[in-house]
Amino acid sequence: MSMSTILTRTITRLIFLPTLVTAVAVLVKGYAGAGDGFSAGVIAGTGVVIQFLAFGPRELVARYPSLRRAPLLAWSGLLLGLVTAFAPVIWGDPIMTLYPRPGEDVPHLGLLAFHTAVLFDAAVFLLVFGFIVSVLGTIGNRYGSEGADS
Amino acid sequence: MLLLLPLAITWFGAVALAPFDGRRRAVGVVAVGVMVAAFVALVRLGITVWTSGPVEMVAGDWPAGIGIRLRADGLGIAFALISLGVLLAALAYEVLGGVHERSLPSLVLFMSTGLTGVFLTADIFNFYVFFEIAMTASFVLATYGKQVGHLRAALTFMVVNLLGSVVFLAGVASLYHVTGTLDMDGVAERVNGAPTASVLLIAVLIFVAFGLKLGLFPFHSWVPLVYRDTWPAVAAMLSAALANIGSYGLLRFGAGLMPRELSLTASGLIVIGSLGILYGAIQAVSPRTAGEVIAWSSIGQVGYILVALGIGGPVGLTAAVLYSIINSLNKLVLFLAVGLRGWLVGAAFALAAFSVAGVPPSAGFFGKVAIFRAGADADRVPLLVLVVVGGALSLIYLFRIYQRDYWARNHAAPPSPLGARVLVLVLACGIVFIGLWPEPLLALSANAAAALTGGGS
Repeated sequence: MSMSTILTRTITRLIFLPTLVTAVAVLVKGYAGAGDGFSAGVIAGTGVVIQFLAFGPRELVARYPSLRRAPLLAWSGLLLGLVTAFAPVIWGDPIMTLYPRPGEDVPHLGLLAFHTAVLFDAAVFLLVFGFIVSVLGTIGNRYGSEGADS
Repeated sequence: MLLLLPLAITWFGAVALAPFDGRRRAVGVVAVGVMVAAFVALVRLGITVWTSGPVEMVAGDWPAGIGIRLRADGLGIAFALISLGVLLAALAYEVLGGVHERSLPSLVLFMSTGLTGVFLTADIFNFYVFFEIAMTASFVLATYGKQVGHLRAALTFMVVNLLGSVVFLAGVASLYHVTGTLDMDGVAERVNGAPTASVLLIAVLIFVAFGLKLGLFPFHSWVPLVYRDTWPAVAAMLSAALANIGSYGLLRFGAGLMPRELSLTASGLIVIGSLGILYGAIQAVSPRTAGEVIAWSSIGQVGYILVALGIGGPVGLTAAVLYSIINSLNKLVLFLAVGLRGWLVGAAFALAAFSVAGVPPSAGFFGKVAIFRAGADADRVPLLVLVVVGGALSLIYLFRIYQRDYWARNHAAPPSPLGARVLVLVLACGIVFIGLWPEPLLALSANAAAALTGGGS
């Protein structure tokens, strides 16, 4: 693969962390401004996709072994989302009720609002990001096992 | 709370089982247990709906008209019950026979979640979302078996159904464009104010989408290819549970949301349905594998549902619901029986075959009677002839298979596990039992049809 030149490798390595930071920023400001868990997940996922293209599956996993756990990430995202959605039912509110309720004060820490909507978005983020990386892993496995690694 | 219970049980169950290896018997048994719990919760919800009317909930505690509504009415409950029941039976069958892939139990639960959600939502976009949950699970399930044939069938299935989803999504988007709401009651209310031509176009889009899912006559070409090659239990799930989305969608969107367009196109639907009945039955007679014959047969069978829908009115809609339910049961038993070898299986196959043909005392008899009555009420004599001819043809093609597969087979193959065989026989006896005591099912269908014609609720 011609993607793997010294230029692409250096740049992708440099932009990986900024990508993740951007993703988290998009996620966190979702409550007040434009942004949500889904786009954050796609941004972070794209960050990994670029790494995948530049380094190939084997080297990528050697660099970040924790990427192997991506299915767990997707799974916990799904679980967190379901719990956030269904938990209000336990104390008698309708499904997907978010707290604090409209009109009540939302505690802030900088941009971060302590609101269950953010929790739900974080769940969506985990699910989307985990899913993208898991699919990459599956492709990488097939790709690596055929010995066509770059 | 009651409304959410079936959804919550299957959804959390699916997530909880996802990390475990479904080939282990314990995981399969737990999945069956989860399905039983969800089914019981659904029956409990059904009892509330039947005694005291539809149950509904607005998500997120938003004011009515803004929030997304979940609602259980007679129609939704009827379809949810049959679909969940079918999935439960198919899963139990697979667990008894030995699961081959780790993801099967969890995927079946995801599919149940999607189906329950589809039938218990009152919002057309939510309908689409749950529908995609069920479809996504079914795409993976279709590859079950992982041999070339299974994968080829899965690819066909996926491409066709994704196409259907896109068409449906286009329909939903244009419905929103025309009415400005996604809420089913709101759409039903405002759609009459919209120009007939544009609503008719939307109705056609939605008809094509559900026709593709259901494998109706002009959109049927994928059905034999897919059902010939998929794993029998999976074929049962796809054709007897997932395809219910198609018939439910036709009923809900046609009779429930766009009744004006439905009556405009009624004659067309009856013609298409009749062609489907004949075409499916004639194609099914030519010698092919059992899966293929059942696939062609199902193309014919859904024709009856379309005809009943075209006739419309309380009688026609009741017949459509009743026929969908009985058709699901028949296909479930036929497909499951095809996957088995050994004693008892032939008997189960024969019972289901009689039910398809509409021979009393099987459940299929009442399905045929309902269609017959709807046709007689509407004074459509050719239809009555068609019902009889269709029934006779189905008896011919199914008994050709029976003869070839159960009489003339050399019994070299080892018989399948006894548990699975007994399960299939019990299901087949259930069909006969419904035929002997049809009142609950008739009441259920009438109640479901009343939910469509009885105004807003």
